[in-house]
Amino acid sequence: MRLTVPIRAVFWLEIQSLLRDPRTLLISVVLPIVLIPAILIAGNWVEERETRAAEALTFRLAVEGERADLARSLLNTQAPNSGESLDSRFQLVSVEDPWEALASGRIDVILEGMDAEGWRQGVRDGSIEPGATDPPPELEGAPRMRLHFHSNRTASREGAQALRTRLLDTREARRDSILLAAGLPAPPENILVVEAVNVASPEAMEGALLGRFLTLILLGLMALGGSALATDTLAGEKERGTLNTLLTAAARRQEIISGKLLAIMAVAFGIALVQVLNLWFFLGLGIVDIGGAFAVRVPTEAALLLLVLYLPAVALVSGILLLTSAYARSYKEAQLYLTPVLLGLIIPSLAPLLPGISLQSAIILIPIANLGVAVRDVMMGDVQPGWILGAWIVTALAAAWVTRRSVLALEDENLILGERSVEEHTGGEGLFRRRVVVWILVLWAVKILVNFNLPFTDIRLVSLVSVGLLFTLFPLAAILRFRLPVREALALRMPHPGVWIGVLLGVPAGILTVLGVFQLVDTVIPVPTEMLESLGQALMPEEIPLWHLLIVIALVPGIAEELTFRGVILHGLRRRLTPVALALVVGIIFGMFHFSLFRIPTTAVLGVILTAVTLLTGSIFPAMVWHVLNNALAVLASRDALPGVDSQWFAEGVGWEWSLAGVGLLLVSFAIIWRFRTPYPDVGPPGPPGGAMSRT
Amino acid sequence: MSEPLVRTRDLTKVFYEESRGEVRAVDGVDLICNGGEILGLLGANGAGKTTTLRMLSTILRPTSGEAWIVGHEVRNAPEQVRENLGFYSASTALYPKITARETLRFFCRVNRYPRGKVEDRVEELIESFGIRDFADSRVEKLSSGMKQKVSIARTVAHDPPVLIFDEPTVALDVLNAIELRRIIERLRDRGKAILFSTHIMSEAEQLCDRIAIIHHGRILAVGTLQELRDTTGHHYLEEIFVHFARTREPSEAQGEAERPGETGP
Repeated sequence: MRLTVPIRAVFWLEIQSLLRDPRTLLISVVLPIVLIPAILIAGNWVEERETRAAEALTFRLAVEGERADLARSLLNTQAPNSGESLDSRFQLVSVEDPWEALASGRIDVILEGMDAEGWRQGVRDGSIEPGATDPPPELEGAPRMRLHFHSNRTASREGAQALRTRLLDTREARRDSILLAAGLPAPPENILVVEAVNVASPEAMEGALLGRFLTLILLGLMALGGSALATDTLAGEKERGTLNTLLTAAARRQEIISGKLLAIMAVAFGIALVQVLNLWFFLGLGIVDIGGAFAVRVPTEAALLLLVLYLPAVALVSGILLLTSAYARSYKEAQLYLTPVLLGLIIPSLAPLLPGISLQSAIILIPIANLGVAVRDVMMGDVQPGWILGAWIVTALAAAWVTRRSVLALEDENLILGERSVEEHTGGEGLFRRRVVVWILVLWAVKILVNFNLPFTDIRLVSLVSVGLLFTLFPLAAILRFRLPVREALALRMPHPGVWIGVLLGVPAGILTVLGVFQLVDTVIPVPTEMLESLGQALMPEEIPLWHLLIVIALVPGIAEELTFRGVILHGLRRRLTPVALALVVGIIFGMFHFSLFRIPTTAVLGVILTAVTLLTGSIFPAMVWHVLNNALAVLASRDALPGVDSQWFAEGVGWEWSLAGVGLLLVSFAIIWRFRTPYPDVGPPGPPGGAMSRT
Repeated sequence: MSEPLVRTRDLTKVFYEESRGEVRAVDGVDLICNGGEILGLLGANGAGKTTTLRMLSTILRPTSGEAWIVGHEVRNAPEQVRENLGFYSASTALYPKITARETLRFFCRVNRYPRGKVEDRVEELIESFGIRDFADSRVEKLSSGMKQKVSIARTVAHDPPVLIFDEPTVALDVLNAIELRRIIERLRDRGKAILFSTHIMSEAEQLCDRIAIIHHGRILAVGTLQELRDTTGHHYLEEIFVHFARTREPSEAQGEAERPGETGP
């Protein structure tokens, strides 16, 4: 990107305006500089005070029950480990009504000793609440020591905790002495000594800890810092009327957005830097202590790498803030949107905190989360250039996309002036085109809710509701709501008869291809075999008759899912993308509706194939037939009902040569479909008339 | 004669409103404006003046039809259109935190005024618009009259051949309005093509070389005041306006409410 004069002009205007606005400066710079250390100091102070107070506490204790004698003798036993006598912290008091005294806070803990028989009796007549844990059977006849405390009061809570530890120690000591007395000394060679030896270097440990939190801390600081300027910039300008002035200037929309984006990035970055230096200063002075683990030195090379790594993250965060501002009509509205947006930004930066997350997994596809994990790895000294580059590119692409959306928002009359243009708001087609993405997201959310909350487990019912019903209702709702023409929306046209040859050839080829894709996925994210088998069992349980399975796994999804995905969703998205992009996007959306991670890529590939067939034939029927046959073949194969097909293929793959053959066959099948094509009408973004499809 | 600096052909904008459905805010407008000429767009509130001028300044996209500014079509070459155009209205505000001088410098740069000449141009504007005394005060501290001067100066900062004034006097007191009209005349005399919209008859009479009467999104008549008098037989512009507005069937003249985005309270 070239820094043109208008970009620089807009950039400096934003920075200048910010620096001259005392309120913004106060809220976004001065306040956090004072507040963050203040919070840390206050936190430390409270914690220290609590510890001191707890250490200084003496606990008033009453002993009760039919085995009070045993309880007292336990208390008088010397503490086995410390040798410290109990009475230094526990003060035995005698009160008339200990229960009332505990309730009113005059004593902290009651130790109630009872015999096994008395306890059982009490439980039976309801005067005793049985404890949360049952003792092991060999302790069935042992006396019980019950601790009563009041969890709302610190002294009571701490006292009960200390007493419990003490009693357990005493119990252990007694057991040992009994064993010894019974002539059963435990030979030392039979007792294991367990020791944990940490082989990680102190630097790596500190790096791991800091690396886990770094993204969260920095991103939080940047988002907070950038949000002040972001809210003011587009939303505030709409309110003040300066946006109107700016939009009549010769600068391109792209330049205006770039200038503003750079300004937000600079401010976000600047404020984060100031805060880090600020923290560092306080830590260095020893005023604040947040544990040595955070006070690590980062080597210069690593610091530079971190800087480069965070660059797209800063751009993405700033871009999202700017986009939020672009979509808001006023300053107030922008502030309203900001809270959920900030929370949404925090979530991916929690990824490095999750145990066992590696960059070599699907996490690489999630912007910010992937960089968070990469940063953690770098901080632990584990640099994998290829994967880190991948993460960087994904986040950078996301940032570019978000920026592009902001540019489009400046061209949207609806957003700038609150005007509504006719093609978008007469309802019908145009409105559906605008809303289709939201509808897909809602459908996705509903699908998740349905999938995880269905009150029954029978696969037949599950499939009929979560696939059959849901994916039939969705196109129906869209057609009714937007008054879509049914035939066009569902592509109910007859294709050229020659297409069917391609479809019949394509189905087995598609299965082989998808199995190949599965193998590919398996090498990247290894799929546990048990998981596959349990999925297979869940999808196709042995006890259900084959013909039931053919209906609920093949016929119903084949028809309903096509009505939704190759029907209304494709119809709604068709003007937004070129045919190739359309096939990919609708395919991936289709994949995203299959919620297990390893099924997404395989179903997405099937989705791409089905969408491509629909685009080439202009008809939903070939995709429907293909989908039904595809699923039916899978069902038959899993029951070993196909001659020459081994059900194990689905768990273990078929081998590369078969998959390649499948791809080849698939190409032949598409060549046939291409030969008899009758393309889907009106595809591609408006602008150059028609899409690539209609020109062929 | 050479190509006019401003030309529209069948320019149309259709909005959708929940209550009324499709509204043709601008309906097949054909206009021409040459250099050294003030073309007045005269019409009531909601007649389509602002929508027309916003399409010319590329803030709104025409639903159909075309418009050219110095030969650049508004949809195909929006950047070139804006480079040749200054837009002023009651709703085009200034940035409050920067000074008058910084404002002019900013608008020179953002309008791609030749780099080396920006400072000279800013000085020239400060001089010719009488901004010298408050050139280094922040805009937020200026009086409305001072702000108006800065605002006009920023409109012409990049010296565009076409200027659009969308109801510029609507929020001004009498003296400021007179001052503004003088400036506009001066700009006309320097060869600018000026589109000037107003709903005030006397203003159109005094200032405009030619007047286009716009009503319900349509141009009913265009001509010099004398030509309009000759056509209608009326002397005063008010009578001329009423004459043309009445020629449309009464049913259409009813219920024309304020459009969102049009100027006015």
